[in-house]
Amino acid sequence: MHGTIADERPTRRRRRGTALWSAFALPGVIWLVALFLLPIYAVAAVAFGSVDPILRTAQPAWNPLRWDTTAMGQILDRIFGGNLQDDFVRTFAFVGLALVGCIVIGYPIAYYVARRAGRRRGLVLVLLVLPFWISYLMRMMAWTNLLQVDGYVNRALEWLHILDEPRTWLDGSWPAVVIGLVYGYVPFFILPLYAALERIDGRLIEAGRDLGASPWRTFRSVTLPLSVPGLMAASVITVLPMFGDYYTNTYLTSGSPRVEMVGNQIEYYLRGSSQPQAGASLTLVLMAMLLVLMVYYLVSTARQQRAVAR
Amino acid sequence: MAQSRRQFLARSAQLGVLLGASVPLLQACGGEDATGGKVDPIADGLAPEKGPLRIANFVDYVNPEVVADFEREYGVKVEIATFDSDSEFVAKIASGALKVDLAHSMATNSIGRLIAGGLIRPLNQTYLTNRGNVLPAFDDPWYDKGGRYSVPYTFFGTGIAYRRDRIDPAELDAQGWDAIWNATDFKGQVSVIDDYREVPAMAMLRRGITDINTVDPELIDQALADMVELIDRVNVKVNIEGYKDIPEGITTIAQTWSADPINSVLAYLPEGVSPDVIGFWHPPSEQYVVTNDSMGVLTAAESPVLAHLYINYLIDNAVAEKNFGWTGYLPALTKLDANYVIDQGYVPDHLRNAVPTNDDIAKGLRFEPLTLEGDALYEAAWSTFTSGG
Repeated sequence: MHGTIADERPTRRRRRGTALWSAFALPGVIWLVALFLLPIYAVAAVAFGSVDPILRTAQPAWNPLRWDTTAMGQILDRIFGGNLQDDFVRTFAFVGLALVGCIVIGYPIAYYVARRAGRRRGLVLVLLVLPFWISYLMRMMAWTNLLQVDGYVNRALEWLHILDEPRTWLDGSWPAVVIGLVYGYVPFFILPLYAALERIDGRLIEAGRDLGASPWRTFRSVTLPLSVPGLMAASVITVLPMFGDYYTNTYLTSGSPRVEMVGNQIEYYLRGSSQPQAGASLTLVLMAMLLVLMVYYLVSTARQQRAVAR
Repeated sequence: MAQSRRQFLARSAQLGVLLGASVPLLQACGGEDATGGKVDPIADGLAPEKGPLRIANFVDYVNPEVVADFEREYGVKVEIATFDSDSEFVAKIASGALKVDLAHSMATNSIGRLIAGGLIRPLNQTYLTNRGNVLPAFDDPWYDKGGRYSVPYTFFGTGIAYRRDRIDPAELDAQGWDAIWNATDFKGQVSVIDDYREVPAMAMLRRGITDINTVDPELIDQALADMVELIDRVNVKVNIEGYKDIPEGITTIAQTWSADPINSVLAYLPEGVSPDVIGFWHPPSEQYVVTNDSMGVLTAAESPVLAHLYINYLIDNAVAEKNFGWTGYLPALTKLDANYVIDQGYVPDHLRNAVPTNDDIAKGLRFEPLTLEGDALYEAAWSTFTSGG
């Protein structure tokens, strides 16, 4: 049966409407292709390309049929059993510890701002955003000044008689790197977590209390589970840039080989060596590892959403 | 743009010539620009362009007042683009990402590559009226026969800078390079230069090996083992911060360039710290690795005349002295010898040995360009060392 013109009109309008809404995604798609997919392809072209024998500059292989996997093979050998294994182990350990630090410090702050700050919420939020106004490098340099042998930290601790003599904080020890990572990235952790905690329906928490649960039990059984998606999002946002970080450890340890991270090797091979393919290969391997974490995040988030829908 | 096999073979052949002690032959032919055309010097007697003069340089490696003086004298604007490493500079110039008129501080190892790649042009010496001020050792430098493409900017050697109030200079003289390995009383206060050739070379020289350009894997492995030993033994740091960390007391002993202790005294002494605490150990001549940075004009320069005039300006004795007083890196000019810079109060007498000489250039060791495979050996050793061994 043929539909009438009157029947078709709403369908066309719906289609037009759908197309219009889809068009809103266009800038995002263009952005993603231009600044995400193309650069990744360029990195792959460098990783599987060659080097100009005179100028030592990368000669990307844009045609995948001509890709040379030698550099990638060498990098994989060095990651699984070679010197780069230590870099990866250290990087994962530092990032893991820094994430724990972010949770321990960031969760209570986000919780306080979202649920307890009341009229002071705006002020506290401004204070939280304040560090973003100063560049990351400047903040790290400030730390190096504070932690120097004759810096304010030692002076304060000596004045309080906690230390008898100044301590060398920047001597290449891993706690300095972890503290630096926590300090640098904790604002990125707090803000998305705050947004998630703030969205929790207060009536659910009240219901928990009304049913006789203690504040702790209410937190454990109601607030915490409901904040897990926010916690996951905050963790992902924080952890991804941490994995590529190479300046926090460099600044806070004056370049100690004991605390080198993968980012340092990527930086060296891409900017200071005659083997840019090695740096690009390392970048791809690190991305692949992070992709596993991202997939886990997406799957668990989807699972939680399904559970809530039920 | 990917290169064809023919291009690759042609480049490899050029590299072979470049590395096969045939630098003069290659340079006599002159470089070719990106289109394959021969690169000639600019003509005589051209009027300076209106500018701006675009310069590529390391950060804080020229006195801003000197640049401002040049701008005033020639009525042009100077724009300085900075880079962190020589490799980065060459890569950006080669890819066209960085468009400048003047390379302010080319490393010796890059000059041959830039010539072979047709990226820098021969200089027209008629614009360089101050060329006679330059040290004779640079009349015919090994990296640029006849000095056709470059003019030396600064020169320096590699030694040990240290705190004289913590280490006895006589003890350091007696120990030489071993002093770095023996600094166990100063764990965490020892540093080496963040450079993949400098540190292995130091490890080799410590063992009496003076062929610092060797590509013998056994010697490089031995150097690596010695470097790795430093990590646990003295908790070594890898950086180029000695010029400020030593006066500040963070570092006690460091492999540094000779300009670093001079720079420490000129600009980085904290209040109340005497210049006497800064010391420098100059290795014996046969172990002294000497290098220099050089200026050159890019083939693609839009203001090549101005670039020539700037080079000439920088090798004027008075201008170079003013620049030295700010950077601490000694210009390669005959007038600015140790006696002069000490008399003028730039350098304390006890740091006389940190002022490089014409003899140092003539007799010292130098880093020469390596093949890709040779470089890969050193880079792998460096990667292993910096990742903790």
